Amino acid sequence: MVFLDSLTTAFALPFMGRALIVLLVLSLAAGVIGVFINLRGLEFLSDGLTHAVFPGIAAGFVLGGRDGLYVGALIAAIAAAVVLTLLSNKRVSSDATIAIVLTAMFSLGVIFVSRSTDYAGQLESLLFGHLLTVTHTEVVVTSVVAIIALLLVVTTFRGQLFVAFDRSATQAVGYRPLLLNLTLNVAIALVVVAASSAVGNLLVLAVLIVPGAVARLATRRLALLFVVSAGFAMLASWFGLATAFGLSVSADVAIPGGATVVLFFVLGYLLMLGWRGIRR
Amino acid sequence: MNFVNTPATPVALELIGAAFSYGHDVALDEVTLSVHEGEALALIGPNGSGKSTFLKGVLGLLPVTAGTMEIFGAVRGPDTARSLGYLPQSDEVDPEFPVSLEQVVMMGRYRRMGWWRLPARADRAAVAEALRLTGLTTLAKKRFGLLSGGQQQRGLLARALAANPRMLLLDEPFNGLDQPNREALVETIRVLKGEGVTVLLTTHDLALAREVCDKVLLVNGTQIAFGSLADVLTLQNLQAAFSGFQVEVDEHSVVLPGHDGH
Repeated sequence: MVFLDSLTTAFALPFMGRALIVLLVLSLAAGVIGVFINLRGLEFLSDGLTHAVFPGIAAGFVLGGRDGLYVGALIAAIAAAVVLTLLSNKRVSSDATIAIVLTAMFSLGVIFVSRSTDYAGQLESLLFGHLLTVTHTEVVVTSVVAIIALLLVVTTFRGQLFVAFDRSATQAVGYRPLLLNLTLNVAIALVVVAASSAVGNLLVLAVLIVPGAVARLATRRLALLFVVSAGFAMLASWFGLATAFGLSVSADVAIPGGATVVLFFVLGYLLMLGWRGIRR
Repeated sequence: MNFVNTPATPVALELIGAAFSYGHDVALDEVTLSVHEGEALALIGPNGSGKSTFLKGVLGLLPVTAGTMEIFGAVRGPDTARSLGYLPQSDEVDPEFPVSLEQVVMMGRYRRMGWWRLPARADRAAVAEALRLTGLTTLAKKRFGLLSGGQQQRGLLARALAANPRMLLLDEPFNGLDQPNREALVETIRVLKGEGVTVLLTTHDLALAREVCDKVLLVNGTQIAFGSLADVLTLQNLQAAFSGFQVEVDEHSVVLPGHDGH
């Protein structure tokens, strides 16, 4: 009963309502973008991007505090997307490039945060989010950034689909692959920024990658992929958030909201794998 | 056989002393040729001789670093690019990729549809016609990855045709095709030529070139010869292009001796 209760009425509480809004907007953007990550096999590049954006988030936080971190984060996101796009375009071993950029930037971010007063607490908040204490400003900024990310991919949808399907012919039919890659990578980086308050820099990868993977298991119809991906992310977010709340209220076990949501994403993926296994 | 005079149709493609390069490396040079509308040109030469380079050059993916090239009487640019259709060398397509054949062929219309416009009646009609021409109408709803290699190849050809190109560039279109698919493709090319479409294709197969092509460009890093099939496909020319390579001549496989004696 308590669980059912937390699925609905709990969201009347302002902090729960804010957490849900942030997650739903994030799910919509990451759900759609995640399909392209999956179709193009950009999981590792996405991992690289999340970490490359981290020093921007950290520097923004040190300079501007929680609500002010977005300026630094956005600059870092766009810079990281440009650098990784150009590097992976160079045909040097793309994985090695990403791994080097990823670790270097992440270390830089940790050093930035170490300059702030409450080092451990702040680092934790940046890495894992602070879903249940998201501020009103964070809701607004997160939503705007996530929607811009979504629009970048929606407006270039045809080109993105063409590249994903047949990279070799993309240029020949008049698309610019570099520009399309850049657009997608900037969109991924923006989702990373948007997710920093809700699930943090480490867990955002799950939000980017799991919904697309679930949708690929669920359907082979193009239009449905995007619906399933975003819909799944929203549902898993809702259930995860309600569970975290229910457990802390009824069982007095305070568990972090962001991590619970991510576990629900993964649980959904496992259930989908099982369902596919049974249907075979 | 009657002697045919120069066709009355306008020139579709004309190159004079043209060269194409990757950066500083000249991949193909000294190309001088003209192809008329409704004609088919076979590009023949050993691997790495510049056949695909030539197609990429016409498409605008490589710069013309010497000489001149005109497509339908104009210098290469966005307008000429729109009149070209391209069939890349067959790639491995992820069989799980979630698109139907029809959706793939619709991709050929994307350029006309821009980023936003939904498919209109003309787009759907062009897709249906391209599927009909390639003999794939009944497979329209099937997932692309489930088609056989030859059907996928024809599907990608249909994608190129859906854009109603005036010139079609086919990179090794007959590679890996079984006999029925091969015949279907030959037939499609004939129909297209009849409609005035100019066809440029690369191939290793001289018999096939004879079947559908009017002119031949023989290359080996540079132009060896250009002209009618009878004029170009001489033993001397083939030796110059293929010294030491194995070629198929009328179902006989022969290794041509090098002209320098090796």
